[in-house]
Amino acid sequence: MNLIDFKFLIDNFKKTFTFIYSEFNINSEFNKIRGVDIVKKLVVFVLAVLILTACSSNSTSGNGEYPTKNIEVVAPASPGGGWDLTARSVQKILKDNSLVDNNINVINKPGGGGEVGWSYLHTKDSHYLAVNSSLLLTNHFLGQSKLTYEDFTPLATLATEWQAIAVSVDAPYENINDLFEDIKNDPASIKIGVGPGLGNDDHLSFVQAAGMRDVAAKDLNFLVYDGGGGDVVTALLGNHVNAVTTSLSEVKEQHIAGKLKILAVSSEDRLEELEDVPTLKEEGIDMVFPHWRGIMGPPDMTEEEIKYWDEKLGEMVKSEEWAELLTNNDWDDFYQNSSDTKAFFDEQAELYKDLIGESGLVQ
Amino acid sequence: MEGFVEGLMTAIQPINIIWIVIGGFLGTVVGMLPGLGPATAVAVLIPVTFGMDPTSAIILMAAIYYGAMYGGSRSSILLNTPGDGSAIAATFDGYPMAKKGQAGQAMAISAVASFIGGILATFGFVALAKPLASFALQFGPSEYFLLMLLTLSAIVSLSTGKMIKGFIAMCLGLLLSTIGIDPQTGVHRFTLGMPHLAEGIDFLIVIIGIYAVGEVFYNFLTIYKEKKKQKENQDMGKTWFTKEQWKRSKWPILRSAPLGFIVGVLPGAGGTIASMISYSTEKQLSKKPEEFGKGAVEGLAAPESANNSASVGAMIPLLTMGIPGSGTTAVMLGALIMLGVRPGPMLFENDPVMVWGLINSMFIGNIALVIINVLLVGLLVKVLHTPAKVLYPLIIMLAFIGTYTLSYSTVDFYLLLLFGLIGLVMKVLDFPIAPLVLALIVGTDMEQNFRMALTSSNGSLSIFFSSGISVILMILTVLSLCYPLILKLIKNRKRKEDQTISG
Repeated sequence: MNLIDFKFLIDNFKKTFTFIYSEFNINSEFNKIRGVDIVKKLVVFVLAVLILTACSSNSTSGNGEYPTKNIEVVAPASPGGGWDLTARSVQKILKDNSLVDNNINVINKPGGGGEVGWSYLHTKDSHYLAVNSSLLLTNHFLGQSKLTYEDFTPLATLATEWQAIAVSVDAPYENINDLFEDIKNDPASIKIGVGPGLGNDDHLSFVQAAGMRDVAAKDLNFLVYDGGGGDVVTALLGNHVNAVTTSLSEVKEQHIAGKLKILAVSSEDRLEELEDVPTLKEEGIDMVFPHWRGIMGPPDMTEEEIKYWDEKLGEMVKSEEWAELLTNNDWDDFYQNSSDTKAFFDEQAELYKDLIGESGLVQ
Repeated sequence: MEGFVEGLMTAIQPINIIWIVIGGFLGTVVGMLPGLGPATAVAVLIPVTFGMDPTSAIILMAAIYYGAMYGGSRSSILLNTPGDGSAIAATFDGYPMAKKGQAGQAMAISAVASFIGGILATFGFVALAKPLASFALQFGPSEYFLLMLLTLSAIVSLSTGKMIKGFIAMCLGLLLSTIGIDPQTGVHRFTLGMPHLAEGIDFLIVIIGIYAVGEVFYNFLTIYKEKKKQKENQDMGKTWFTKEQWKRSKWPILRSAPLGFIVGVLPGAGGTIASMISYSTEKQLSKKPEEFGKGAVEGLAAPESANNSASVGAMIPLLTMGIPGSGTTAVMLGALIMLGVRPGPMLFENDPVMVWGLINSMFIGNIALVIINVLLVGLLVKVLHTPAKVLYPLIIMLAFIGTYTLSYSTVDFYLLLLFGLIGLVMKVLDFPIAPLVLALIVGTDMEQNFRMALTSSNGSLSIFFSSGISVILMILTVLSLCYPLILKLIKNRKRKEDQTISG
């Protein structure tokens, strides 16, 4: 906050203070009651604080350089989930490393697979950002949203998880191709656990891999666990499904403990701690499937504003805290700046459009 | 067992005891307030846990969780407005008890029942965590479906006397549960094009709307009529239960603890189902089933014991497999991952001090909570002396705040008012409310599991008889439905025999 700003605030504060005080004095009868004095002071104090905070969040700084007020990061989900985690981590790391001077708040707007939060962002100014993922693209292709990725300003792709296909330890499959072979021979006999809904990355990555082995999407028998990844793993451990497709983090610990078997991961190269698990590519299924998360702003952000975030987020992903966050969550660095992200979105949009057509979810 | 001792040393560190007491108190408070549940409380506290030692963090979060189980029944007893699904059962007999002028006794017995449930379940945790975790895995879609069916049959036993009205309410609840995206096909059902409805109607909004707001509306209608009556009920002096009440509740509490514990272990089942099944079991075992719903003390004590032991049971899948068994444990899982702890099959080996520290903290926590809650009884009873013009606006305010915290959306306010009106109409027409809410809670899962079971058997119904657990659940359901009828039949026959003999 610069000096002119501060002066303005003090003035404002004084004016309000004297105004409220005189108001109270006029009401002399009210004053007679004992104890009201303290209450009065309290009211004045609370009002003053309220006005102060209101001013500080709305005040425009003198030279008009972006950002001029608090930054709000929209997490389009309830507290505790992946999007919320991403938003809060961005908030914390940007603040802790003093990358951004303005206050940063996280707003939770859950509902409709991100739709509610993103619709909210759509109406806001450039001080609002939102966390996103491939659902931003798929919601539209599935006919669940009018908004597309083109209605927003991509700022960065931040991190990715990888997909994993796992089976129970005593399943008769040596590798992923055995599994697809079995599905091809007797589609009805293989149940695949997925969650929390169809059309997500867990589902579509499996559809894509199966398609590359000439297994039609209609031959895939999905059991959809709306509790998500945890439920899917429980189902596999209890042998209620034959295979599961889920985020790697859901099954990694179980694989290491020897409770289930990951057949393949969707990453480019083999992963740390899972040197025994091949990639889909190695198994002859030529695809890499990231389950990415990114951050975007409302439509029509200026060049200058985009540049600001390229710089800040670019520094953020280099921090130690960010590296620690990635390790704790089994995420991989997937940083791309605003222009790369834009190109990446175009490419992803093509892929998802095809996959959703293939999956038979949209007639 | 060396882990046990080490864990005890961790749990009794002063800092951890402070966290236990803070968490327990906080849990009690949020549990009492309609809409603010343990999941919200834990989520709000996530930023606080950032800098904490992971063991202290999980101890704090767990204390909030079971603290809320203690607190949840307070508002059920005093105001007939449960704070969460697992506190619904406490309204059945807790509120009638309060009406009879036994609010203090009701709260005391429910605190003690929660305590016994919690302690027994913690012992169960120590002894049975691993075998139970693998037992829970046996539950597939067909078993879950049958478990939910058993819960629904418990609802039927609630509605004796108003069977048809109970069924109508239940069907309404099941219909409401179909709103939202259908997970199996991705089709939107009854969402009216509103993205907000895509994830269905949160049952907590329905609970707050029908119970809390509906109750306020109803009281508004009758506020002038009931003035005299309230004066008679001013005497709430007793804050401890009588020997007679203890005698009646002793066995129901002890029976419900293991039942709640086992249901709690099943991922997704949780406190609501545990307390419902325990209530209907006790009603059927009781020699005086006609007193249930009219202030039978065991009808309050049993579900209270069950839901607290269920909250302990829910920790088992979380810690042994990294699978959250309830909304609250899901949030806890997220928080733990942020702290660099990954609950899963390796946790007991990698981090025994943390696991055993948590288990020991649960013993201490339950002791702290029973003291906190018994001390609070005297204070809380005063709620009943609060004049209506202060109390009801307060409830409305809390209801709106609680609703907003669910999804930070004002659309929910309209739903809240709508369900408030529905609650009012139901009360005026004397419809039972619990069947609607419970059917809504289990409805979605019941339908999904039924369909998943059929998909996995390629359409054959035989899957519902294919495992031992299914068959047992089926028998229990049939028994719970027919038991009252059989009892009647036997009584009738006896009477006839008596008559023929005497004749």
